[in-house]
Amino acid sequence: MEIEFQRVGKKYETGQEALSQVSFHLQQGEMAFLTGHSGAGKSTLLKLIMMIERQSHGEIIIDGEDLRALHKKYIPYHRRKVGVVFQNHQLLFDRSVFHNVALPLQVSGADPQHIGKRVRAALDKVGLLGKEKYNPMALSGGEQQRIGIARAVVNKPQLLLADEPTGNLDPRLSTEIMNLFQEFNRVGVTVLVASHDLSLIARMHHRVLTLNQGRIVNDGGFS
Amino acid sequence: MSQKPEPRGATRQSLSSSSSTTKTRLSTSFHFASYLRDHQKTLLESFIRLLHDPLASMMTMMVIAIALSLPGGLYVGLKNVHSITNQWDKQSIISLYLFANVEDTKALSLSHQLSSRSDIVNVMYVSKEEGMRYFEKSNGYEEILSALPENPLPIVLQVIPSYEVTIETLPNLESLRDELAGVQEVEYAELDAQWLHRLASLLSFGERFVYALSLLLICAVLLIVGNTIRMAVESRRDEVLVMKLVGATDGFIRRPFLYMGFWFGILGGILACTTILLVSWWVSTPAERIIALYQSDFTLQSFNADEVVLCLTMSAFVGVIGAWIAVNRHISDIELQ
Ligand SMILES: Nc1ncnc2c1ncn2[C@@H]1O[C@H](COP(=O)(O)OP(=O)(O)OP(=O)(O)O)[C@@H](O)[C@H]1O
Ligand SMILES: [Mg+2]
Repeated sequence: MEIEFQRVGKKYETGQEALSQVSFHLQQGEMAFLTGHSGAGKSTLLKLIMMIERQSHGEIIIDGEDLRALHKKYIPYHRRKVGVVFQNHQLLFDRSVFHNVALPLQVSGADPQHIGKRVRAALDKVGLLGKEKYNPMALSGGEQQRIGIARAVVNKPQLLLADEPTGNLDPRLSTEIMNLFQEFNRVGVTVLVASHDLSLIARMHHRVLTLNQGRIVNDGGFS
Repeated sequence: MSQKPEPRGATRQSLSSSSSTTKTRLSTSFHFASYLRDHQKTLLESFIRLLHDPLASMMTMMVIAIALSLPGGLYVGLKNVHSITNQWDKQSIISLYLFANVEDTKALSLSHQLSSRSDIVNVMYVSKEEGMRYFEKSNGYEEILSALPENPLPIVLQVIPSYEVTIETLPNLESLRDELAGVQEVEYAELDAQWLHRLASLLSFGERFVYALSLLLICAVLLIVGNTIRMAVESRRDEVLVMKLVGATDGFIRRPFLYMGFWFGILGGILACTTILLVSWWVSTPAERIIALYQSDFTLQSFNADEVVLCLTMSAFVGVIGAWIAVNRHISDIELQ
């Protein structure tokens, strides 16, 4: 799935200009990192793609669709095409790992017979096949993060977004998680990951978009 | 529930990417089946969810039941008063007092003329003399009457209408009386159903009272259900957020809460009907004994099957509406941001 930003600006109601004149193009099957200081606008950019926030200026074209023209009632269908790992919308602790991962499928009205298969396939990909009956509370931070990734990919989205997916994980786990994203990218999924972790990003050898005060100041290889 | 099947992502894709109509139809029917299955599942799940917090659910249902059984009980009471009065003496008489100068022949022909009407069964002719004899029989009048130079009584026609006297036919009787009062020879027409008139006013007052009370208490039920649903939405805030993130439509998010309202409504309604049926069964023996002193074969009426069905339908409907209002107000407060 392609992502195209053309001179996108986002001004919050508070007057805060979180993004301005952001232009870039992410090809189908590309993987890129989004980095920059705290408050640079990384989360805002991902939220625009998810239509959690709407842009104030410019055009965002995803999968050939101009998001500005997309009616509010189609937002859910847009979101189903995108897998996301957001830190503050994590797992639900009132249900098992299985039901957490199954949520996107239930929401889109999938056949229950397929749900079981798809959930197990997703758990298998993140290496947690044996834990489907657990409560996520009983899992480690790294495992929880991987459950979140399984939930993001269970719908087989063609675009995967992640906001600080390695936030509070140790370096070894962080690398593991990043490798996981890389594997999804290898099978054709477009991946965009926002992260602070410059040393980790440098090791991954992918395109890096650097934001500063809401503007893209660098777009290219790792620095 | 009148929710239309929402367009599904896959349906839209197959509509745009394939020109084959059969494929489209297949995928639509598949999605309709999954839509129905979703509903069944949600219906069941929302019931199970009520059992998670049985005490709170029970309280809500009890309050609904009390709010509904009050007007329901009054309604049953009114219904019984109605049926008692309908079993009372069904004959009524309209007495026509003719002008003093109306002669016997004229009065007789009027009497015949009236008795041929379809809304009149019979007309009894009471001549001046018969009237006098009637009075003479009653003690105390003899002296007064014998002191009078001539018979002061008018000819009276006692008209028996073909209507049975009930509250429903009272307007017909009254209009018949008014019509007869307008006849040239008639000085004054009297319908001996004043008591019924008063009762009818009383009952219609009672009816309106029950309606007003029902309306008030239905509003109360809306508030109770609304409040319970508001708390349920609030307690599932995280879940709502995650569902929105992974692409749930508002309809999908609303559904479990609407079903919850449905369950509260219908269970509260069942409780209310049970209460009404039990209470009327409990009071029936003494009530029937009292009424039997005045009239034979009275059986206390309670809710009949139709009324139970109506009560349950209404309570389920009110539950869903209450939930709908609460969910619409509170789900939009929960936004990803
Ligand atoms: N909902 C909001 N309302 C108002 N201002 C906001 C809102 N969300 C973010 N901002 C502001 O927009 C700017 C960009 O925020 P954003 O969260 O996108 O930064 P970030 O790059 O993700 O930072 P971090 O690395 O700390 O997560 C910040 O100055 C922030 O204060
Ligand atoms: Mg952020």
